[in-house]
Amino acid sequence: MSLLEMTALTKRFGGLTAVSNFDLRLDAGEIVGLIGPNGAGKTTAFHLIAGFHEPTSGEIRFKGASIVGFKPHAICQLGLARTFQIVQPFAGLTVTENVMVGAFNRERDAAAARRLATEIVDFVGLSPRRDMPARSLTLSDRKRLEMARGLATRPELLLLDEAMSGLNPTEIDGIIGLIRLIHARGISLLIIEHVMQAIMALSHRLVVLHHGEKLAEGTPSEVARDRRVIEAYLGEEP
Amino acid sequence: MAALIALPPLLPKYHLEVLISVVFWAYLGIAWNLLGGYAGQFSFGHAAFFGIGAYTSTLLLLQAGLTPWVGMFVGGGLAATFGLFEGYLSFRYGLKGPYFSLVTLAFAEMLRVVSLNTKAVGSSLGLVVPSATAAPAMFMFSGKLPFYYVILAMGALALGLTWRIGRARLGFSLAAVRENEDAAEAAGVDALAAKLRAMALSSFLTALGGTFYAQYFAYIDPTITFGPSVSIGALLPAIVGGAGTVLGPVLGSFVLTPLSELTRYALRGRAGADIMLYGAVLVLVISFLPQGLVGFVRARRGGAR
Amino acid sequence: MTWGLLLQAVVSGLLLGGVYGLVASGLSLIFGVLRIINFAHGAVMMIGMYATYWLFTLARVDPYLSILVTAPCFFVLGVAIQKIVIEPNRAAAEHNQLLLTLGLALFLENLALVLWQGDFRTVKVAYSSASFVVGDALVEVPRLVASGGAGLVAAGLFAFLRLTDVGKALRALAEEPEGAALVGINVPRIRAAAFGMGSACVAVAGALITPFFYVAPDVGESFNIMAFVVVVLGGMGNFVGALAGGFIVGLAESLGAAFLPGSFKQLVVFVIFVLVLLFRPQGLFGGSRVR
Repeated sequence: MSLLEMTALTKRFGGLTAVSNFDLRLDAGEIVGLIGPNGAGKTTAFHLIAGFHEPTSGEIRFKGASIVGFKPHAICQLGLARTFQIVQPFAGLTVTENVMVGAFNRERDAAAARRLATEIVDFVGLSPRRDMPARSLTLSDRKRLEMARGLATRPELLLLDEAMSGLNPTEIDGIIGLIRLIHARGISLLIIEHVMQAIMALSHRLVVLHHGEKLAEGTPSEVARDRRVIEAYLGEEP
Repeated sequence: MAALIALPPLLPKYHLEVLISVVFWAYLGIAWNLLGGYAGQFSFGHAAFFGIGAYTSTLLLLQAGLTPWVGMFVGGGLAATFGLFEGYLSFRYGLKGPYFSLVTLAFAEMLRVVSLNTKAVGSSLGLVVPSATAAPAMFMFSGKLPFYYVILAMGALALGLTWRIGRARLGFSLAAVRENEDAAEAAGVDALAAKLRAMALSSFLTALGGTFYAQYFAYIDPTITFGPSVSIGALLPAIVGGAGTVLGPVLGSFVLTPLSELTRYALRGRAGADIMLYGAVLVLVISFLPQGLVGFVRARRGGAR
Repeated sequence: MTWGLLLQAVVSGLLLGGVYGLVASGLSLIFGVLRIINFAHGAVMMIGMYATYWLFTLARVDPYLSILVTAPCFFVLGVAIQKIVIEPNRAAAEHNQLLLTLGLALFLENLALVLWQGDFRTVKVAYSSASFVVGDALVEVPRLVASGGAGLVAAGLFAFLRLTDVGKALRALAEEPEGAALVGINVPRIRAAAFGMGSACVAVAGALITPFFYVAPDVGESFNIMAFVVVVLGGMGNFVGALAGGFIVGLAESLGAAFLPGSFKQLVVFVIFVLVLLFRPQGLFGGSRVR
């Protein structure tokens, strides 16, 4: 049984088809990269999986059970967490408090939630800033905070939406390292990313979306050689 | 705190009345704050719950001889139910911000119009609450002092409840929803459930305040109980003191209520002078102290939150 | 229930509906351009009515003629309020902006109470009780003038928005704030103008009803609520919708008064309000930015 399975997933907004007939399987332990030009429907796919939009048609199964029509918080509680393309911290809360919101999914007691949150804050490397208000963080730290908040819900699958956008090379390396650590903890990942080197290096498998449709799928090297992908997205071969 | 308990017996009558007023509006502000400050849903129609509480306990007293001590919880339960109804309707259909405020206003006005036109609840003549004889078991006291201790106790309990919630799971859920509802949902917070819980608690507590008012002033009518003065009076201390903080409504009331009394005294006989002041204070606070007095003090101290 | 009564109710509803429409148009304009729900709208109307009253009582100026004076004055007042109170807070949280206008409303309403007490005042002109009969319905001239005048002003506002540069700037700002700034529109000035015009509209509406409506500090409150209902019904920022909505609400209230006892007519309006907010928040005719 796959961890996440999408079948013929389609989403139409009025006359616009954002996602069309999208099949995807992700098994436990995998890191799958989702790439494609802007507007290809990647974030919409995330919204569909995480419950923020309802699919027009198609099926989404998480751990074997359908999650279509579930509210986002219910999906999160089942073990599927997500980050947002434009980071959404709880600006007025401290770093630790932000993460505690996620931790409360697994711990009812405030003290236990705080312990879990502190551990996660440590894990993502934000310890020095644990009592600072989220609004005072740099972009790179906010991205780490976003991931920490998701991790505190103890997910089996984490959806990362362009976690590296807007970061400089050093910061990107840091995030790559963090993602590897997350994976080492047994969490599967579905990653949307435009930073090619990063996603090529991290992913076991790549899926290419173009105009809402799956264009190609395979290992990073297979996909990099695929002519349709090169034409649509990657540009000419060097 | 000790002063609040020990001093009052020594105070002259007028001062005691003002103090009761201060604590009363602080209590209502605390109740409002649970929904407005903590959950971030600004209700402009809290009078609906106040009135339900006042009328329920009074009607039960007048028609069934039920002591308001019990009647008040019945009223609270009814108010919470109405609040859940109002809340579910609004939140389920995604009403936020000003639209939510307008709906709460509409509901309060509806209740006012209905009670104004219903003979069974006294319509515009209102209801007189028996208060001639002292009967503590029936929430009737001969002097003002016992009322003071009652409202003080209610205030203290509400304050404690707010403080506990703020540190517990519900408090974090509400803060998350208030800051960013989508992100909260993504982090596993059931936004609808959290908002409804806040609504139920807030409306329940507000209704208890309605019963207190009925017993203390011994007279209620639709305009007093369901009217905008209660709705606005409930939100002002919280906004001025600092919405979403524990002590905000208390601080707000301690500043506003004496100020309004002073204004009323200074411009004696001039009806409306104190509300005019409230209006000006509201504009000034929003313009210069948007985080309220508590926020201002915190910023001065260089705190994080 | 006779046809006569029904006709009367319809006539009354349409007559008052025109005024509601004008009041709501002002509110809609303010919302469309400034994106705030102006709780002080009714209070400004009330002050306008007092201005009309005092001009009449102290200087014997006919209420309709006084509009020539009050309209520009209230435009200026509106601009002043916007520049002093609202614009400095334009970046504040939405609910705070709402509270701002609420505070303003409280201040103005009670200022009137303090200055002029709560007694009802009336403006009695020669034609205050003039009326004629249409079928079984009585049409009171002042009400007809009010409704007609309101319609004229609303039409004038509509034409202004379509044909003049300032009008186009207002519409541009309502539709696309960033774009408007980029094409060189003086945004702060236009924002102030919007509030000024909205205030002038509502003051004119106030002046138009003084021959038959009492003047008191709480007058604004009821029109305020009606205006919100109309604007929500017609669609926030939709001026034509505001006028149409005004007639619908006027009719609903009037028919409610005819069929229901006591002041239950208000209930009809509130129920419509809640239903629209829940099920069609963009209004019957569609408006800008739903939530």
